[in-house]
Amino acid sequence: MSALRRLLLLAAASLAAPAPAMAAWTRAFAIEWYEPAMYYGAQSGVTEPGTDCPAGTNPEPDWIKVLTEAGYTREQALWLRNPANPTRSPVHGQNQMAFRGAGRANVYIDPTSTPDGGLVGVTGTIGEGLDLDGDPNTGFVGPAGERGVDNAFYRTLGCWKTFRGPPRLSSGALQNNDAMRDGAWTVVVVVSGRGDDPMNDDDVTVGFYPSGDKLVKDAMGGVAADYTFRIRPDRKLEALFKARSVNGRIQSSRAEEEVWLRDPGAARDLQLLKARIDLSLKPDGSLSGYVGGYRPWKPVYDGYVRARGPVIEALTWVRLPDVFYALRRNADYSPTGPTGEKTHISFALRVDAVPAFVVPPDAKGTARPISYKKQAPPSGQPDSTADRLPFNVVDGIVIPRGAKAVSQPDSALLPPSTTGAGGAQ
Amino acid sequence: MRRFATIAGSAALATAIVLSAGIAVQAAWADPPQSTAGAEQIVAIRRLTESQYRHAIADAFGADVRIEGRFEPERREAGLLAIGSAQLSITPAGFEQYFRLADLIAGQVTAPERRARLAACQPAAETARDDACARQIVSRVGEALFRRPLTEAESAARVQTAAAGAEHTGDFYAGVALALKSLLVAPEFLFRMERAEPDPAAPGQYRLTGSTKAERLSFLFWDAPPDAELRRAAASGELHTAQGLRRQLARLAASPRLQQGGRAFFTDMLQLEHFDGLTKDSKAYPKFNQALADSAREQTLRTTVDMLFVQKRDYRELFTSNSTFINRHLAALYRVPFNSKGDWAAFTFPKDAERSGIITEATFLSLFAHPAASSPTRRGVKLHEIFMCEPTPDPPADVDFSKVQALETGTVRTRLLAHMENEGCAACHRVSDPVGLALEHFDGVGQRRTLENGQRIDVEAEINGVKFSAAPGLGLYLRQQQKIPACLVRNVYGYGVGRAPDERDEDYLADQTEAFASDGYRVPHMMVRIASSPEFFKVKLPARAKPATKVAAAATHEGGLQ
Repeated sequence: MSALRRLLLLAAASLAAPAPAMAAWTRAFAIEWYEPAMYYGAQSGVTEPGTDCPAGTNPEPDWIKVLTEAGYTREQALWLRNPANPTRSPVHGQNQMAFRGAGRANVYIDPTSTPDGGLVGVTGTIGEGLDLDGDPNTGFVGPAGERGVDNAFYRTLGCWKTFRGPPRLSSGALQNNDAMRDGAWTVVVVVSGRGDDPMNDDDVTVGFYPSGDKLVKDAMGGVAADYTFRIRPDRKLEALFKARSVNGRIQSSRAEEEVWLRDPGAARDLQLLKARIDLSLKPDGSLSGYVGGYRPWKPVYDGYVRARGPVIEALTWVRLPDVFYALRRNADYSPTGPTGEKTHISFALRVDAVPAFVVPPDAKGTARPISYKKQAPPSGQPDSTADRLPFNVVDGIVIPRGAKAVSQPDSALLPPSTTGAGGAQ
Repeated sequence: MRRFATIAGSAALATAIVLSAGIAVQAAWADPPQSTAGAEQIVAIRRLTESQYRHAIADAFGADVRIEGRFEPERREAGLLAIGSAQLSITPAGFEQYFRLADLIAGQVTAPERRARLAACQPAAETARDDACARQIVSRVGEALFRRPLTEAESAARVQTAAAGAEHTGDFYAGVALALKSLLVAPEFLFRMERAEPDPAAPGQYRLTGSTKAERLSFLFWDAPPDAELRRAAASGELHTAQGLRRQLARLAASPRLQQGGRAFFTDMLQLEHFDGLTKDSKAYPKFNQALADSAREQTLRTTVDMLFVQKRDYRELFTSNSTFINRHLAALYRVPFNSKGDWAAFTFPKDAERSGIITEATFLSLFAHPAASSPTRRGVKLHEIFMCEPTPDPPADVDFSKVQALETGTVRTRLLAHMENEGCAACHRVSDPVGLALEHFDGVGQRRTLENGQRIDVEAEINGVKFSAAPGLGLYLRQQQKIPACLVRNVYGYGVGRAPDERDEDYLADQTEAFASDGYRVPHMMVRIASSPEFFKVKLPARAKPATKVAAAATHEGGLQ
């Protein structure tokens, strides 16, 4: 074969070879609001009785009763709850609230040292989320009538003040999304497909990534569209889904074994097993829907402890150990099989995202929904954008750095007038 | 702390400052001598602009000195604030602001960590007066602020102030701070006092003094006071020689500070002060906020300075280029990705974006529009005014705007056509609107659109029989207009000399415009040509009222000052 002929054949072969896989279309978004999918069964407000919680939002516990049942005298309980008590910080609460377990154990880190108070959960049949187990006979019925919606997280915590309310109006969602919108963190979404029509494509890939670029509010207080966000590679936080779109609705074509997202709540890192998406491209260019899977329930509890137990309990009307018991009781998934310990609980996030430009870590071109984990800084390298608490939380309470989270002695639990000069100083 | 130990003591010290400033005021504002032969006299007074004030302070004390305060409003005359500055005074409230700024600045520069930078000398004792050291400080700082060496009287007054302050407080630097405050509120600092002196080469004629020439040059090229080298050249008489002037011009034009001067000039010419009060309807334009306004202003200045002073490109490309700079806010407004890790990045708009020069940037499009809508008329009026030096008369007081304000119907073209049924309005609108209508693919903040109220926007336009379409067509049309480079030449000259050109300047400006064209419309070269021409330093008496008893004498002066 002549050299020329070989060259021509090589050229022909190169033309016939399949082109590198390239996305035929790409859409990018910045999440402007996301929250646990908690169906609200009342007609108005955030506390009224409804089909979800017939008794309404769980009321604030009687803290004097809680303390006296934990072994404190009524006088001690009243003093511990008294705003004039110098040991009760107006910002961080009363540290002694932690020590109401058996033998003054810290109930935040040892919740089983106090009995289960019985957190009231959702009793309704309607729920939002995704069918994670493929069984239409388990779970809730969706608002549109779809069956098999698995969301035990909602069943467990849906009547808690933190989560109860119509979309975008529960106190927890408001607080967390305000923080995100004020720049605490950013999650971007990149969607691409191989066909010609984003609305109907059998081969869609969806990626969720953190970005170091902050959301920007527009003049109306919403999150402005069309801003550019650069993906910040992270060794953990990344979620890739294979999906298909039908009339603009993008649903998982398979369950993803494990993905990680930035949790909009106190847990910070959200692991989802058997994860799925159900997102819709809206006519105005935005993206809305659900991301769900089985999440480990213990980090949910730990997140609230880390967020300062006394503050969470006082502001959100809950006894944290009751949350621990309820999550453990309602966990519905074991990664090790049906007989294994139920370490995970079915869960879904309600997601709203605005159109955005998302660029890869080097800021060149347009981001594609691929893994960027290999570009993440080596472990141990400080993450410049990680949000850190400005105070020192140990075992669920705020104490000076270097100090230990310990219960006060009985002699310090009464006001000075009843204990003399050596009282609560 | 012993400074300002008592209220009474503070009042006395403040009085001392005012007195010393008063001495300077008296010296500066004294009427010209009635017999002018051999006398130096003031021929123009121009108040420092805010940016000039800031640059002067940075030059005198360092760029890290904080200047936090409000400045007196400026006034635009003949298209430029620089010309209006020759007609400004300082109100009592404005003087309070300058006094407060002086206090803030003097406090910073005499603080222990910075006082060593004031002068090479150290006081014999920091708790007592030291006139020799105070004189060194006053002399060095005074020359930088007054842009010329201080007279003995000016210096002695401040040294005395420093001494009195030090004796009263027991703190040498407290006294120095008072002396500095006195300099900082002096008219010789706050105003550029342009002086003329008899011209030894032309008996009976006057010329600008060397220091006045130096000021004109440095404020034109750098928007800052003359540096030490330029002051030296002024004092030595070099600026009166063609060779000496050329040498200094070459230095000024080659300095990176030329970009600072270019920024100041275009900030003035493009009327960017309108950003200060710019508001937009939040519902109509939710992306518009202060960050975007600041970004737009910076985009226009970066683009202009880079194109004209860094790349030294043809001035007319300012209307045709699709190259610019953007940041994250602007990228969102223009709906393009921001592919940079930095705060700003060079960017070239794609052809279908229809961006064509600075008139298609957010600055022009948002400044000259309504709060909730675009305005072809405002854009057209301002385009003629800013770039062609063709101001449009104000509309009649009784004009009916109801048809153009019905924003919810049709396109702005249809609304304007309805408005122009009033023949009294039509005459001006026929001139202003076509160029504005060609920009209608951009809304009131500069976002691209092709529909308004569901109707396709027509961006065809015609002026004087020339038809063009959309912003790129308008840009090409403007590029051909001789009025545009001629207007820039006129503005540069007026900006430099601080007065509106009149009919006596027309031939000179025509020649300069021709030279500008021959040179490929390179702005820095044009600035050098203007600044090296005798007309740039031509002495003209200010047209200010004189007391009746002095009319005859003043007329005599005018006859001599040509």
